[in-house]
Amino acid sequence: MAGLGAYALLFALVLAAAGAVVAAVGARSQRPELVAAARRIAFGLLATVVVVNGAMLIALLGNDFSLSYVAGNSSRETPVFFKVLSLWAADDGSLLFWNLILAGYLTAVALRFRTERPPTFPYALSVLFAVQVFYLVLVNGPARPFATLAAAPADGRGPAPLLQNHPLMAVHPPFLYLGFIGFTVPFAFGVAALLAGTGSDAWVSLIRRWTLVGWCFLTVGLVLGALWSYSVLGWGGYWAWDPVENVALLPWLVSTAFLHSIMLQERRGMARLWNISLVIGAFALMTFGTFLTRGSVLSSVHAFAQSAVGPAYLVFLGLVLLGGFGLVAWRLPTLRTPARLESMVSREAALVGNNMLLLAATAIILLGTAFPLVVEAATGEQITVGGPYFQSALAPVFLLVLLLAGTAPLLPWRTVNRARAVRRLRVPVVAAALVVVGTAVAGLADVEAIAGFGLATLVLVANGQEIVTGLSQHGGMRALLRGRRRYAGFTVHIGLALLAIGITASTNLAQQTQVTLKTGQSTVFAGHTLRYEGLETDQQAQRIVLTARVSVAGDGALTPRMNLYPAAADPIGSPSIHRGLVHDLYASVISLQDDGDSATFRFYRNPGVTWLWIGGALMALGGIAAAWPPRRRRRPDERPQRRAAPVGAGVG
Amino acid sequence: MRVRPGLLVLLALAAVLATLGIVAVRGQGAPVSRAQQVQQIAAGLHCPICKDLSVADSPAPLAQQMRAQIEQELAAGRSPADIRAGFVAAYGDSVLMTPPRHGLAGTAYALPLGIVAGGVLVVIVLMRRWRTGAADEEPAERLPAAQRLAVRRAVERLREEEPG
Amino acid sequence: MRRWVLLGIVVAVVTAIVAVLSTGLGRDPSVTSSPLVGKAAPDFTLAGLDGPAVTLSALRGQVVVVNFWASWCTECHEEQAALDTTWQRYRDSGVVVLGIDFQDTTAGARDYVHQKGLSYPVVQDSDSRTALAYGIRGIPETFLIDRTGQIVDRTIGLLNADALAGRIDGMLKAGAP
Repeated sequence: MAGLGAYALLFALVLAAAGAVVAAVGARSQRPELVAAARRIAFGLLATVVVVNGAMLIALLGNDFSLSYVAGNSSRETPVFFKVLSLWAADDGSLLFWNLILAGYLTAVALRFRTERPPTFPYALSVLFAVQVFYLVLVNGPARPFATLAAAPADGRGPAPLLQNHPLMAVHPPFLYLGFIGFTVPFAFGVAALLAGTGSDAWVSLIRRWTLVGWCFLTVGLVLGALWSYSVLGWGGYWAWDPVENVALLPWLVSTAFLHSIMLQERRGMARLWNISLVIGAFALMTFGTFLTRGSVLSSVHAFAQSAVGPAYLVFLGLVLLGGFGLVAWRLPTLRTPARLESMVSREAALVGNNMLLLAATAIILLGTAFPLVVEAATGEQITVGGPYFQSALAPVFLLVLLLAGTAPLLPWRTVNRARAVRRLRVPVVAAALVVVGTAVAGLADVEAIAGFGLATLVLVANGQEIVTGLSQHGGMRALLRGRRRYAGFTVHIGLALLAIGITASTNLAQQTQVTLKTGQSTVFAGHTLRYEGLETDQQAQRIVLTARVSVAGDGALTPRMNLYPAAADPIGSPSIHRGLVHDLYASVISLQDDGDSATFRFYRNPGVTWLWIGGALMALGGIAAAWPPRRRRRPDERPQRRAAPVGAGVG
Repeated sequence: MRVRPGLLVLLALAAVLATLGIVAVRGQGAPVSRAQQVQQIAAGLHCPICKDLSVADSPAPLAQQMRAQIEQELAAGRSPADIRAGFVAAYGDSVLMTPPRHGLAGTAYALPLGIVAGGVLVVIVLMRRWRTGAADEEPAERLPAAQRLAVRRAVERLREEEPG
Repeated sequence: MRRWVLLGIVVAVVTAIVAVLSTGLGRDPSVTSSPLVGKAAPDFTLAGLDGPAVTLSALRGQVVVVNFWASWCTECHEEQAALDTTWQRYRDSGVVVLGIDFQDTTAGARDYVHQKGLSYPVVQDSDSRTALAYGIRGIPETFLIDRTGQIVDRTIGLLNADALAGRIDGMLKAGAP
């Protein structure tokens, strides 16, 4: 296996390099046969990378401990499910998986442009191959997944206990990777447009759908990460402002900004320079994120084992920034677009505001995360930039984003007819005001929390109103499907509002307590009577599970656990959650005394957390709906598609 | 009772601003209990052996002991500022969840404001430039009034139902 | 012309970013420096495990090696020999090795002491105040305190007997009685 894998990786690297060169030459010399050859190389590359991942999977499932990766991340007792997941449990293996997804996207692009060939396609293919070359150089160089051990141990160490504790490990990393790597495609086409020198806006519509794909996956990946933090780590929260969490958010914010400003270019031919910069920026931030995560630069929950890949990522980041923004600087004349703003109160102005706020949030998070690094480099002083900093800095920004999400969809392009705008805003604003007054009267004393609830209501009602209007006035579901993109946008905003409600409620209204109970003893918390029933021990193949059973009067039982893994010095706790639409009852066991006769618990009452998951799911669904390609029917009686502006028409 | 939409919106906005103003001025209210005070101080301290959790959130034994110590010191009459300073003397500035306010590290607090202010400035400059671009446009050829009315009606209908 | 200026700006900015980020490479992000090195060691009076109580300020004039440990800590087991050797070697030269048991049970600590044959004085930090005052992040941690009561060094993790001996020799030679 090791030999097969290593040779296949080398072969893949050669293929990728060849593909990059062939595609580039085909692009410059405009020879379609070279481009066709590059496409075939792409299929070959995918096949090779599939073989490589298959080889690693076989090694993992077959307990081939001669491979140092298998010895370090799997063991005989590890259940089959988690053996498969060990593929992405650590740096080297996850790079194999990364390469697989990248090759998959490359092939998807090659297949998508089978018949229609925009002029940017060959360049984009070349850039994609070049990126693949970098990641293949990593697995052939500093991070060797198929490195062998001189003496194969009898049994492996097993995956890190935290990574084999919960089935979410199956979906959180893959969705994140699908999201991150998805942004390579817009980047490739953006760079291709700069290389090709085409001043047209055709590429924008083309990459909108690809950006949406990456965006949807990343949204799901981030929400799953929060779900993991909440359901697995047991500290009662879902976002710790860990450096790795922060950098994962950055490409999401920038691509969200892009998905909004893209409308400016499609409709009004504006913001071309800005859009290309956003696309390059999203990819650069994603690369920066992988550098921070895997280069062991900052201390983090996600810290991969010390690996030699740090310098390689830094070099790649430098090349991406230089190449991308260097090209932008070079092609600046062709990127200048005539921009016109008729009114400060218009969709255009709102979109500009949206971009400004999202980019401000990105800058705050980026600088805050890198700040300890900079300070230590400058003065040697070690500091922490933690949750409270980000929360207080970002709350106003996100509140303003909500404000725009609740008003901008109601604003027309160019100029607003004031009376009509006020009429449309009437119901949402009144609803928001009712919520604001209501929460204040109910006793909520935090201005930002009240504003959060009020603005979320504004977004909910405003976007909901637009959907209802569409359904009732303009012909029901057919109108919805025809204006798919618009109504998908409303859906995403509604999902955002639900997310905001969940975040506001859980941040401001949560209760918690820590209590030590003897067997049979009860305590009262948040209106529930909780009784410690006793400790149950379950000996499993790879761990011992101690369950501290707590009965909830009238509502079943909570079963927080402590998992003892041989590899871990400390037990890994698993919380027990009774989820509800209004609030979650959450229990985790901190420590056990007297052989389990006494246990220290932490109980939480977390309102609104379920709405986080619902809101996140709705956002992803809305994104999928927005990306869904229209059915191409050729019927003589079908009305032609309307395009509002003369520029911006292009292949989608 | 038919209220003019403009008036209703204005009333609603006024109610919102008034409520927020009252709540802001009134503040958080009565002094907090000892347990809440401990929670507040602990939430501002970074658990030294955890990656990013605060002393309030962390289940680690060291964090437990730190919380117990905070409670003891509060009972003994020490101020929250002194308690924090004690931990900083032992663990260094990195035990605070947010950077200290002095020196290079203190510039972190100016950053968010600076970024947002910078962003607003850029946006204003940009929009001004775009607006003057609009003013320079030459007015279109005037159509006869009836046709203008028809065109305007058609455009409004288009705007109502345009996709995307 | 303008193109080249813009390009130059891009190159300069990117170089600056890469330079700053590269300072982060090669350092272990989990290592934190102690603010106590070079400052007066926090005083304490702790009850002995099976002996008299010890007050740090009473040891002024001697070199003190303070080692935080617990019976369940595997690295502590490994460095035990180094500590004992140091004690045997320097106990008559004005050097005290003091073990502070932390986050542990009395029974477990006693078993450890008897098992390992610990000969130097051991005290218990039952409420962890001393550990917190010394900024303990994990165990073992060892502090080297000079005759004037100043902390000159802090070691996290496994002790090296030779390195420690070298430092103590230096302090004994240099320090005036």
